[in-house]
Order: sequence, then structure tokens, then C-alpha cells
Amino acid sequence: MLRLLYAIVLGLVGAGIVHIAVLLMLPSYSERDIWSRLSAVAGPYAVVRLDSNALGGRSPAPANPFLVPAACRFDLADGPVRVQSPDTIPFWSLAIYDNNGLNVFSITDRTATDRVLDIVTLSTEQMQQVRSGVPDELGRSVFIETGLEEGIVLVRVFAPDETWRGVVDAFLNEMSCSPVVLD
Amino acid sequence: MLRTVLLTLLTLLIAIGGGAGSLYLFIKSAPPIGAVHSGSWTAFPNLGTTHTDPYSRGRFAREGGIPLGSAEGIVFTATRDVAGRPLSRRCTYRVEGAMPSAQFWTLHAADMAGTPLPSLGRRAAALNSQMILRRPGEALAITVSPHPQPDNWLAITGQASMQLVLTLLDTPLSAGFELTQLALPRITQVNCDA
Repeated sequence: MLRLLYAIVLGLVGAGIVHIAVLLMLPSYSERDIWSRLSAVAGPYAVVRLDSNALGGRSPAPANPFLVPAACRFDLADGPVRVQSPDTIPFWSLAIYDNNGLNVFSITDRTATDRVLDIVTLSTEQMQQVRSGVPDELGRSVFIETGLEEGIVLVRVFAPDETWRGVVDAFLNEMSCSPVVLD
Repeated sequence: MLRTVLLTLLTLLIAIGGGAGSLYLFIKSAPPIGAVHSGSWTAFPNLGTTHTDPYSRGRFAREGGIPLGSAEGIVFTATRDVAGRPLSRRCTYRVEGAMPSAQFWTLHAADMAGTPLPSLGRRAAALNSQMILRRPGEALAITVSPHPQPDNWLAITGQASMQLVLTLLDTPLSAGFELTQLALPRITQVNCDA
């Protein structure tokens, strides 16, 4: 009888440990976060429109009918990542997600020069390198320093109504996501 | 000998089954932590960031999603009207009141899983600040209804319950202002189809 009680108490303590262990491991083993979903369909630096077609029938909820999201993965070991589009649209916003799909940084067009999308994400060391002499082609870029090594840059574009579809499509088709080579 | 084996199995069963089962129930059914309420509206400003508790993070990892960052904006959802009745797609509602300052806002109807409702003909179940008609001296008024309405009509279809989703884009609110003292439009029921 005493041994049965002992086994049950031991089981309950074990249950607590399992509960906490699984809870803490859940984020890194999840296959539904945006990093895992994007990795499944596209390589790094490929710009993907995040609708249900692109992500295997399941777009990440909740979806807003007026916001068109597009994202690309980056790895700062390849150099700073530059996301830009030459076109202008009513509103865009940009968010950076880590490789667990958690949001670590966000910015809107209000912060950018002339509301043009031209953002360079870099690590602290790369930022120091840039500070010593900004390359000419990055003269109008907004620099975002991050502690991440790899992550996702996600751009959301506001399409006020159907007539804007063409403009929004052009903006996203023209959008580039590429590593920058620093000398 | 057999007793020892049975007791060991029992211990493992309680540990693994109980640990995993309790976590599943917790994530599945316990109310999310970190909600901000304003009238009928609810927002989760920290959803999907590194500033949440492990349970919210675990739930987020199971569901996935790309929530707006704090600088991008904030999303409010409402599943009930001001009287506390669940929102139904067969009813007509008035959404009235001042909108907080934001560069743009959008309002759409969605099912309980968050998928936007299908369009009624060419009218999507969604409005935004660019398509709104305002009358001078009057507060913003939107009619959510399955039947055609004058002025600002958010067309809904179907029979089941629904939720209204209000997205404020680029608003100073999300950058850490007093979300709890925020005034959002009120949702009042006008009538329902029998």
C-alpha cells in the first residue's frame, strides 16, 4: 500500500517535470510557426507572398483582407540583408521575426525616408563596420541593428480596395531581399 | 518482481500522461494571459513576442501566425455586443463612436477561427478608413448587416456566430500608451432575422 502511494507521488512529481519540460520545448519544436512554414516552401532570400497558396493551403491566421504580407528569410552570416522596393504605396510596415517565429522588431513607413521601403538589417559588428563609412548605395537606407543571426523580414502592404491590387502586386514583385556585401 | 514492474509503469504513466495531458488542457482551454479589454473589444498586445509568459508562447507556437508588431499596429476583436450577447451573422449591428488615432484602420467580420467571412456578391465583409463616408459633426457609424444599408455597410453572410476584427495600423496606442483607458466604437444590436 505504501509502495503504491510512493509510486503515485513519484508519478505526480514526474508529471510536473514533464509538463514544464514540454512547455519549454514546445516553441523550438513547433512546425506551425512562420519560420518553419517559410523554410518548408522557400529558400533564404526568396520573397514569398504569405497567402494560402504559398504556404500549402494554410495561411497564417488571423488574416486581414486589406493587408498583403510577403516575407523572406535571411542569415546575417551572409552579410546584412537589404529589403527594398522602388515603388510607393499608401502604407507598408515591416516586422522582423526570429527563428522561433516570434516578433522582435517592427517599423512602419512613417520612419523611412520619403516612405520608401529600403531597410537594411544587420548585426552589431556589421553596424560598426557601416558606421566607419556608409557605402554610397545605402545612403538612404534605414538601418536596423539586431541580435539575431537568422530570421525573417516580413513586409505588410495595405491595399485599400480592389483598384490597388495592381499597384500592390507591382510593389511586391519589385521587392528584393538580398545580402549586402560590405568591403 | 511483477509488482515492481507494475508500480514503475504506473509512475511513468502518471508522469508522462499527466504532464502532457495537463499541458494540453491548459493550452487548449485556459483563457489567454495578457489580454487588454476595452468595452466589447479585446487585444493581445504581446502576442507572439518575446515578452510573453511560457504558456502564451506555447499556445502561439501551436497555432502559428504573424501578429502585428507593436510599431505596426494593434488588432482588437469583439465576439459580443455591448449587452453581452454573442455576435450573430443573422443580426444587424451598429458600430458607433470615435476611432482612436491611427494612420489607417480596417474593420472586418470573421468566423470564430479568424478566417474573414466570404464576400456578399462583390462586397467583401470588410471596410477600411479609406472607404468610409463621414457626415460632418457626427461620429463614425458603421452598420454591420446581412441586408443592404445606407452609408457605411459592412456586408455579412451566413448563419453562425462571428467576430468583428478592428485593426489600427500605425497607431501611437500600440507603442505602450494606456490601452485600458482607450475608447473604441460601441457595438449595439439593432435587430435580428427570425
